[in-house]
Amino acid sequence: MLTSNRKTKEKVFFIGIGALTILIFIPLFHIIATVLIKGFPVIAERGTKFLTGTLSEGGIGPAIAGTFILTFLSALLGLPVAFLVGVYAYEYPKSTLGQWTKTLLQIMIEFPTILVGVFVMQVVAVPMGTYSALAGALALAIILTPYVAVYTHEALREIPSTYREAGFSLGLTRAKVVFRILAPMAKRGILTGILIGMAKVAGETAPLLFTAGGLYESYPSSVTKPVGAVPLLIYQLVQSPNPVDHATAWGASLVLLAIFLGIFIPIRLSLKEVRL
Amino acid sequence: MNFAIETVNLNVYYGQNHVIKGVDLKIPNRGVFALMGPSGCGKSTMLRTFNRLIELNEGARVDGEVRLFGENIYSGDVDPIEVRKRVGMVFQYPNPFPHLTIYDNVAIGLKLNGLVKSKEELDERVEWALKKAALWDEVKDRLNDYPGNLSGGQRQRLVIARALAMKPEVLLMDEPTANIDPVGTAKIEELLLELKEDYTIVLVTHSPAQAARVADHVAFLYLGELIEVGPARKVFENPEHELTEKYVTGALG
Ligand SMILES: Nc1ncnc2c1ncn2[C@@H]1O[C@H](COP(=O)(O)OP(=O)(O)O)[C@@H](O)[C@H]1O
Ligand SMILES: [Mg+2]
Repeated sequence: MLTSNRKTKEKVFFIGIGALTILIFIPLFHIIATVLIKGFPVIAERGTKFLTGTLSEGGIGPAIAGTFILTFLSALLGLPVAFLVGVYAYEYPKSTLGQWTKTLLQIMIEFPTILVGVFVMQVVAVPMGTYSALAGALALAIILTPYVAVYTHEALREIPSTYREAGFSLGLTRAKVVFRILAPMAKRGILTGILIGMAKVAGETAPLLFTAGGLYESYPSSVTKPVGAVPLLIYQLVQSPNPVDHATAWGASLVLLAIFLGIFIPIRLSLKEVRL
Repeated sequence: MNFAIETVNLNVYYGQNHVIKGVDLKIPNRGVFALMGPSGCGKSTMLRTFNRLIELNEGARVDGEVRLFGENIYSGDVDPIEVRKRVGMVFQYPNPFPHLTIYDNVAIGLKLNGLVKSKEELDERVEWALKKAALWDEVKDRLNDYPGNLSGGQRQRLVIARALAMKPEVLLMDEPTANIDPVGTAKIEELLLELKEDYTIVLVTHSPAQAARVADHVAFLYLGELIEVGPARKVFENPEHELTEKYVTGALG
């Protein structure tokens, strides 16, 4: 009697938690479903012109190009620094700077991204007198950096210390142990950080508001000139009273979702770690 | 000068914890020298002073001298990197690099230290080291496989090959069979008997039986102090110290 009562309680508890869990994922599936349902007809109707044409031709080609340029450029600017910062935090965990680095990286991850945009506007866009791909990419790089640094740090920390000892026991310098043995050993974790960071910045809007400017009637030609981005375009189109613009926004949302999943799914698939 | 390793009043501290207490030890050139004692007595710590690997632990402090063929490796002008090129090490848990192929595991020390001039020389040295470690026949057809599929004993021999490839003068082994099955253990012990012709092997073991099987000389360490040292036969058959007798007969655990 007593045990069956306990079992019933357990069951209720289990079902309750399960229901709650499903509940919090409903918005995710709702978003994906809505974007598919509303975005797909737009793209189907306008065809490849939607992906390559300019805004007045009913397309978002320049925005897509802008998103790829911004993401790539931000990775170019951010990755080397982020990798080195992650290595530093791993190698000098006890130093004052090392300890601060870990805390500051956590803060950077949570930092309001719009403030990053304001900052880059101040130091790059204003002096240059124009919005630019460079300014946008720099803002995104600042957002990307802590992700990659934290993942690099964590991936290195997960390596058992015996491999570090093995490296040193071969008469290798500290730099060689870290960069030639441990970092390659941690490459899956580091790569995961890179992809997560890139998936994150590819979808960012706020940091681009005052930095990238926007460019939708022609393809970007220079990194020192304004550039568009898919999320930025969506943000602008949704504010328009014109239903055609709304349709374009839905199509663009589907493209953004595809870009995001295109980066994110490979991460999930490659998460199998190196066998230690 | 005919000693491979000689310690003079060697002390090691982890913070306040005094774990090696004024040890004077002479390890002859060539042969297997077993460092035995119960778990926690300081064997691994002492072994790591012989190649200055102990320095990876920031809390550790070493005091006294360790002489490698007469030269104090703790004197100010000695680069630990150079010491480690001459003193190879094998660990308690077989640790070939999992992201490198069998070939690259053996080649990595040579490659990164720039010790070979050509691909041919590297190939030769890798083959030589794998043969020396009695592993060649088992892996020669799968040099480009990863070590993940090797047995524990094979992995440990791979690590031995990795160390031998550097042509060290001394080989330190920290309980190399502690995590290996009996068949693998027998193979490694057999290998030690071959290698001791050319190398000085310092073998840490918590098993007096293993020391009796493979060692020419043994030292007994207890709570950080060197209790007894001498030819294996002498120490096992006619120990001077009561503690040693208790240990080798298994009464100490
Ligand atoms: N990294 C470390 N930091 C602090 N104390 C340690 C560390 N490693 C070992 N010790 C201590 O030093 C003593 C000797 O340890 P160790 O050399 O590992 O012994 P053994 O190899 O004989 O089992 C033990 O009391 C252990 O707790
Ligand atoms: Mg030990």
